[in-house]
Amino acid sequence: MNQTLLPKTRLDDFIRFLSARQKVIAPVSLGNNQYKFDEVSSLDEISLHYIPTILPPKKYYMPQHETLLKYDVSKGQEMEAVVEVEELVLFGVHTCDLAGIQCLNMVFSDRPKDLHYLIRKNYLTLIGLECNDYCDSYANCAMLRNHLPKGGHDLFFTELADCYYVHVNTHRGDELVEKSGLFDEMNTQAEGELAELRTRKKERFKSEVAIRYQDIPRLFDETFESPVWEDVGNRCLACGNCTNVCPTCYCFDVMDEPDLDLTKGRRIRVWDSCQHEVFAKVAGGESFREERKDRKRHRFNRKFKYPVDRYRRIFCTGCGRCSRTCMAKIDLKETINALMEERE
Amino acid sequence: MGRPKVAFFDLSCCEGCQLQVANLGEDLLDVLELIDLVEFREVMSEKWEGRYDLAIVEGSVVNDESEQRVRQIRDRCNVLIAYGSCATIGGVNGMKNRRPIEESQAAVYGDKTDWFPATKTRTVDQVVKVDYYIHGCPIYPPEFIKVLKAALAGLSYPVPDFAVCVECKFNENVCMYDKGVTCLGPITRAGCNSWCINAGNVCYGCRGMVSNPNRNGAEDVLRRYDLNPELIANKMMMYNAAKESTDE
Repeated sequence: MNQTLLPKTRLDDFIRFLSARQKVIAPVSLGNNQYKFDEVSSLDEISLHYIPTILPPKKYYMPQHETLLKYDVSKGQEMEAVVEVEELVLFGVHTCDLAGIQCLNMVFSDRPKDLHYLIRKNYLTLIGLECNDYCDSYANCAMLRNHLPKGGHDLFFTELADCYYVHVNTHRGDELVEKSGLFDEMNTQAEGELAELRTRKKERFKSEVAIRYQDIPRLFDETFESPVWEDVGNRCLACGNCTNVCPTCYCFDVMDEPDLDLTKGRRIRVWDSCQHEVFAKVAGGESFREERKDRKRHRFNRKFKYPVDRYRRIFCTGCGRCSRTCMAKIDLKETINALMEERE
Repeated sequence: MGRPKVAFFDLSCCEGCQLQVANLGEDLLDVLELIDLVEFREVMSEKWEGRYDLAIVEGSVVNDESEQRVRQIRDRCNVLIAYGSCATIGGVNGMKNRRPIEESQAAVYGDKTDWFPATKTRTVDQVVKVDYYIHGCPIYPPEFIKVLKAALAGLSYPVPDFAVCVECKFNENVCMYDKGVTCLGPITRAGCNSWCINAGNVCYGCRGMVSNPNRNGAEDVLRRYDLNPELIANKMMMYNAAKESTDE
């Protein structure tokens, strides 16, 4: 069975069922039309209709601060690898964020494999939730074809009139459906509603920028020296908000944190950002990307060009977080439009 | 080799940063196992005549006497930590640099000005060499412990040279600008774990500015949010005036 239905009246039961087994993480409101993924134990805590959370769910896959190993210098170079994990169910993850996790999976499975990431990933269950309409005008998910489910989930929920259509994608998802005993069989009415919704979405979601997916990398190739970067660099505050909120930015710094006895300690990794001045600084004080415009251009290329060369996939998910959070209002869609205009 | 001899000193300040150490709670016990605290006027009356392995200096240099004092401390210590905004960037003491010194003196001491000779406010590193910086008003206790460990292990402690926004995003706070409130986070250097914003306050810039802020860009942002750049400049000067170009 890979299609099933959950009546809306039983959603709270399902959340409680999950929460009795392990921690459940879902979008919750912070006020000001802002949201974050946080622990919940019942439906009334969850914001089912939310715009992308401040931080994407990557914070559960690679936490902001993560212990990689413990060391004890009194025993020479003795080190012990540590993976801090707990079982979590992430409920209500939008398709853009599922795409982000797929990107991270590719990167961390690449050689050398990142075992910390890969081990933790196995402890996480992903339950997606479809966006029936745009969250807001910052999103550019259709441009990247991420407005529809493309896998990466264990279960995927689509809201219909009285129930949720649920796509069961993995054995783990199937087990939750079976064990909860809350799901009904698929029926023709739901089938019809689903088809109608998808047709409506096709009309509603159109590429937000007039460019074809396959033409995007070339645009960045051809506009590397564009004055657009100058303008973007002049506005950028290099605060790093765009990389921290990005579902596919994974750069990190690694450092040792000694305990107070200065003998034992932990090696930790912390999110880093290519937008920071010190990021590309090397011994001798040289920097590969000294100017804000260099760093901004690098970030865009790291989404639309370089990962296509390496992974054959654009690493922008269209969630719109970078544009939403940017204090200088550097807007992703506007920047791409400006590059296109400039090239003509 | 015994535990390193550590001493706390205060120049012009409120000694609130030292209070943060006294308030460390259980961590204080661990700290005291690591060091031999030989002078710390806020918590003990003993004095030490010998050499200090580590001198932790709070406060700014505001007169000849304090200049002399900090020079003597520097001569008697191996490693010196500038401790708290007053020491690292001048802090609120720097405000007096914004007008002629005579005016400030007259405002405070009236006709007794002669009794209290004063100079412009200077940071500790404007007078003597500083090895480590712990910014903040007050200092952020976890950062103090970090720097202390680095200093005792002989490792460097680079103060984060990126905006408070970074740590604020890590903590997933709703941006103050989205709430319609001015915040100095975007141009203030991190290291405090966005302490104030986590607690519902704004950033006052007490850690000093990032080394290369985009001033024009920041002004654009203020205009966009309909905020007066002068107001922000004023706010920034609450802590940072002593670090502005001096006329010396």
